[in-house]
Amino acid sequence: MHSGNFKVAYKTIRESRWQSSLTMFGIVVGIVSVVTIVSLGQGIKKQIIGEIKSVGSDLITVRAGKGVKRDTNGNIQKINPDFVYGFGSGTLNDRDVAIVEGSAGVKDATPIRLLNGSVIADGREYADGFVLGTNPSLPNLLQQKIEYGSYFSTGETARQVAVIGKTVAEQLFQENVPLGQVITIRGQDYIVRGVFEKFTSNPLGQGIDLNQAIFVPAPSLKEIAGTAAPVIRVLARPQNPNNAGNLASQISNSIKESHGGQDDTTVLLQSENLQVTSSVLDKLTGFIAAIAAISLVVGGIGIMNIMLVSVSERTREIGVRKAVGATNRQIRNQFMAEAIVLSVLGGVIGIFASFVVNFLIKVTTDLSPVITWPVVVIAAVVSISVGIIFGTIPAIKAARKDPIDALRVGN
Amino acid sequence: MPIISIKDVSKLYGFGDATTVALDEVSIDVEAGEFVAVMGPSGSGKSTLMNIIGLLDRPTHGEYMLSNRYVSKLRSNQRAKMRRDKIGFVFQSFNLLPKLTVLDNVALPLMYRGVSTVKRLQRAEDVLDRVGLKDRQYFMPKALSGGQVQRAAIARALVGDPQIIIADEPTGNLDSASSLIVMELLSELHRTGNTIIMVTHNPEITRYADRVVYMHDGCIVHDQRTPVGEVPALAKKAMYVYPRKTEEDDLAGVSAMMDFRPEKPSTKKRKAKAQAKRRKAAKAKRSADA
Repeated sequence: MHSGNFKVAYKTIRESRWQSSLTMFGIVVGIVSVVTIVSLGQGIKKQIIGEIKSVGSDLITVRAGKGVKRDTNGNIQKINPDFVYGFGSGTLNDRDVAIVEGSAGVKDATPIRLLNGSVIADGREYADGFVLGTNPSLPNLLQQKIEYGSYFSTGETARQVAVIGKTVAEQLFQENVPLGQVITIRGQDYIVRGVFEKFTSNPLGQGIDLNQAIFVPAPSLKEIAGTAAPVIRVLARPQNPNNAGNLASQISNSIKESHGGQDDTTVLLQSENLQVTSSVLDKLTGFIAAIAAISLVVGGIGIMNIMLVSVSERTREIGVRKAVGATNRQIRNQFMAEAIVLSVLGGVIGIFASFVVNFLIKVTTDLSPVITWPVVVIAAVVSISVGIIFGTIPAIKAARKDPIDALRVGN
Repeated sequence: MPIISIKDVSKLYGFGDATTVALDEVSIDVEAGEFVAVMGPSGSGKSTLMNIIGLLDRPTHGEYMLSNRYVSKLRSNQRAKMRRDKIGFVFQSFNLLPKLTVLDNVALPLMYRGVSTVKRLQRAEDVLDRVGLKDRQYFMPKALSGGQVQRAAIARALVGDPQIIIADEPTGNLDSASSLIVMELLSELHRTGNTIIMVTHNPEITRYADRVVYMHDGCIVHDQRTPVGEVPALAKKAMYVYPRKTEEDDLAGVSAMMDFRPEKPSTKKRKAKAQAKRRKAAKAKRSADA
């Protein structure tokens, strides 16, 4: 295509400023929505991954059910999205806990027992929370600090003491000091002896807010709730962080062996957890971006519309150009160039506007979108292809006009 | 060897009862360096003939040889290239592109030849100098008078050194003073060896031509050579025989040309219909003769 085409196209577009800017607006909106949504997704992903990383990448999580498919090298091939959100279904048993705790090279390990249901304190009921039974090593495993009081120690595992999350403390005791207060769980009184600092991450899974949890010693919870408080996770940390992978596969094999060779548990490293979570987030972002991309198609149709109008408005010009010797291809290229200039201009403005929108989001909300280069490149490529795709039909229409008819128009 | 050689060229529009014969087996040869004026009433087929000579259209039947090449069967792209290299158009309504400067307008045909920007603007400037518009080259067409615009249009027709210049009523939209200037320009081009074919309604301006062709109902009814500077007697008569163009004529011409023009019948169908019509006509003629 001749570079002169683009000059002429730019000139023509400038001459019909209103029409062109409205057309470009369609593309701009499309690009902005796609780029913004993808960058929001990237920002959220970055945030979540940061949180997961804060727990330490050598944390090993054992859970029931088969959530990932591994290839022969042990790398994750496929991930069940159910594995990312919530507690999941299926439980582990005491024998599994014993295997993890007894594995060579494990520094700390704890089962997580879950008891759903409301707790009562001061005659006030708190129904949003859940009770988790753990070993004293939990704060170490999650690398989480206690704000007031302390976590229960090894000697207290049979006693009825509780450590509560920040939200629980605020909801149940409001401005009162929670330490020393009594919480009733299934008719049993537990004395609050500690309050966690605010959890900034969700190490047990997305959607599980540990700020709403009441932590009690696992043996005592087992005593009052029995099988109603099943083991939903076993957490472990290796003595040597570099050995985490080996330890994970060792634990996995031992459990498999004790289950009679059936591979019905999943042992994930925190680093793999990261992979699982980011894959699900990517899918989600992709899905929403695809919806946003519809607006790009609409923008493209806008371009096609304006080009069709332009072709019929300029029939006479086409006639003159053909009379002085323009071939069909030269006419087609001229109109294609116009469509491409329109969409590229729209794309450039759109990318620029995305950065502005991005900045505004950062300033006005607590989200932190991240614009990555691939997104910008894809947006640029998309806008050019929109121009080519939707410019083709009008351009072909223009090229096929009969010069005699075209010259007669408006005569 | 004539530069244009047209033999039994017919152009038919429409089919069935609505078939219009715009050109009826016209034959004409034009030598290089001739200035041919084509006269005739509206709807007589002048424009159709010009369109075919100018390679904007294809004849339905017949042969057209342009500078030793058969061109009647060329495809539209090949015709576009021939137009670009061999033919310059001057229109009644000037047809400069309003959004380009005069210079850019004049340089336009060279753009389609792939001449570099600098070269084509230089060439355009030279040609504008020749038509006396060098000082107007950066004006937009709407800033020029009608006569100046038409001179710019002639410059555009000249810029590619065409073998033929086709002028379709070049003075039709001009006052007599501007007409004079434009005609003097065309006449000068003729003197310097250009071949010009011009359609006109005005017998006065046939004085610039050295050959006058009269058309009626799609046929050439008279073809005479005249010395330059003289208005042939028939042209003077034609002023009265053929009324000057009125709005009514315009409408009649348009309806003859356009209203019956179908969308696009397939060539096969068109040919078959035309043949049938010709056979019918021949039969009618025979019976009339008998």
